[in-house]
Amino acid sequence: MQKLRVLADAAKYDVSCSSSGSSGGGGSTRSAGICHSFTEDGRCISLLKILFTNHCIYDCAYCVNRRSNDRPRAAFTAKELAGLTGEFYRRNYIEGLFLSSGVMVSPDHTMERLNEVVRILRQQYRFGGYIHMKTIPGADPLLVQEAGLLADRLSVNIEIPTEQQLIRLAPEKNFSSVFRPMDQINREAGISRQERKKHPKAPRFAPAGQSTQLIVGATPETDFTILKLASGLYRQQQLKRVYYSGFMPVNSHDARLPALQKPPLVRENRLYQADWLMRFYHFRFDEILDEKNSQLDLQLDPKLAHALRNPQLFPVDLDKAPYELILRVPGIGVRSARIIMANRRHGHIGLSQLKRMGVALNRARYFICCRELPAAAASLYPEQIKQRLLKKGEGQGRQLALF
Amino acid sequence: MKPNREKVAYVFDGSLEGFYTAVFMAFRDKTEPSRFLAANAGQQIPLLEQLRHAPADPALAARVDLGVAKRSGAKNACMLKLAFRSGQEDVLLLIWRYLCRLFDCPDGSFCRNMLDPDVWDVLQAARRVKREVHRFHGFVRFRKTADGFWFALIDPDNDIVDLLIPHFRGRYAARPWVIYDARRNRGIWYDGKKSHDVVLENKAFSLSDGTLPPAAVADDEEHYCRLWQHYYHSVSIAQRPNQRQMKAAMPRRYWKYLPEKQSGHRQ
Repeated sequence: MQKLRVLADAAKYDVSCSSSGSSGGGGSTRSAGICHSFTEDGRCISLLKILFTNHCIYDCAYCVNRRSNDRPRAAFTAKELAGLTGEFYRRNYIEGLFLSSGVMVSPDHTMERLNEVVRILRQQYRFGGYIHMKTIPGADPLLVQEAGLLADRLSVNIEIPTEQQLIRLAPEKNFSSVFRPMDQINREAGISRQERKKHPKAPRFAPAGQSTQLIVGATPETDFTILKLASGLYRQQQLKRVYYSGFMPVNSHDARLPALQKPPLVRENRLYQADWLMRFYHFRFDEILDEKNSQLDLQLDPKLAHALRNPQLFPVDLDKAPYELILRVPGIGVRSARIIMANRRHGHIGLSQLKRMGVALNRARYFICCRELPAAAASLYPEQIKQRLLKKGEGQGRQLALF
Repeated sequence: MKPNREKVAYVFDGSLEGFYTAVFMAFRDKTEPSRFLAANAGQQIPLLEQLRHAPADPALAARVDLGVAKRSGAKNACMLKLAFRSGQEDVLLLIWRYLCRLFDCPDGSFCRNMLDPDVWDVLQAARRVKREVHRFHGFVRFRKTADGFWFALIDPDNDIVDLLIPHFRGRYAARPWVIYDARRNRGIWYDGKKSHDVVLENKAFSLSDGTLPPAAVADDEEHYCRLWQHYYHSVSIAQRPNQRQMKAAMPRRYWKYLPEKQSGHRQ
């Protein structure tokens, strides 16, 4: 029991939580993830998120489990961990396992232990739940391949957005140890998808794709750098998700890291909002930010900020405008935009209809033309709009609801 | 609705068949239903209103269902059946209004405009039911009994217990389990091959927290339950509390049968 507490506590800083995207695999996984519970910090518990061990030979400045920290250490045996996962799964506490680990002895040695846990689960326990495995940077490609055939999703954490800073904070790591497995996973998943077109029974390789995590605020990178990196990861490595984790000092003071009182939660939220814009709203990273405006505005959400910088696009006529443009109106989400597209041929989209579908009119009103609204609202200068919205307390970063 | 019609309250047995029979009768008699009362829900029967009983008639109900499917498609007929499961108080009248307008409109075009208030309200009710089914794929908690059964108690807002069958049959195909709706006093028993409706006569479980008497649960049940509670508290990051979001995603009314939310086990 003590072990569970130590190793769950040590794993909690990994923010990934989803169990989605693995449709109809061998077992009972769903393409939409299922949340089984929610913790006091508002995050979803979908998987048993746990470290195999928190012993670690590395000494990364940002990590609780670095070797120079004096913390209680523990390790599971493969059997114990597989058993625990099985029992939790049977009670419907969890959707599956999120397995990570500190590095003991060597990356290969650690990766072998992780594979062993998952092999026992899949083969002895006939476990059909979701498995998310961390790939240990520097592990042998053959071990990564075995992991990909056993797990639903693999992930390699980049943690620090530029190589120079990564090496400064984590002297034992570099970018190639992260990107090599990432590229390998992408390649093998592609091959497996091709194979399965020809032979439906061909083995799946990480059917739920891969994800990664970036720590925000530990190093001086700008939001522009971070979004550019994320956008590249989505396009080139075809990542399913990039997670952003606001840096939180977890170690006694280290001169290489900033001394923060609180994690930069608002900035983290703004990055997630920007990430959503890239994945669901057809935004390119260089439309959200550019070299000149390299930080996200903490007072305004990125979509609103974009609209205020591009007044030439507005007001939008909801009865005629194309889908992509409707998506750019602040206050209108993907669901509302779809409803508008599907229903506008039945009649004018007016105020009451917008209210009904839950459009945030306090923001949208300045960017649409609508008969029922005073015409003056849509002809304000961006500066005036910004002032009005900020006065109302809108866009104050209270909406931390993106997970 | 036509104002000069006679106002009648219909009493039916609580089933979809009963409701559709009542709808059929209201159409046939050209009355305006003031409400539909499910006799099994323990509602007060009003004294001052005209009452009519609608004994469930499969043939009449099928005609209503078929009429909906013909005018608006089978998918839409399913949507209405979902909305019928809603626990929302006024949902039956909403469905009635929807049906009136649908049957007034031979080509069924009325229901294609989802922004029409009458359509929207019914769609939302169905959507909330579907959403709760999805939530309960996560919020069901099984306990292992001493005789090898897996038992879970739930108290959902909508009548969804049988909609959980496909998911849990897929997940726990080889073991017997029961999911029981405490409020509606009915449940699903899956025997390892097939599922059945059950009504439990003598209730050994606690309605306040879903636990079973110690003699009835398996030996290791308490142990794993405790482990889960510890896990729940260990993975939360204390430096970034966000109770508001936790409660939005997992409303308090669902907590009573979740072991991790039961007090007394806090660290």
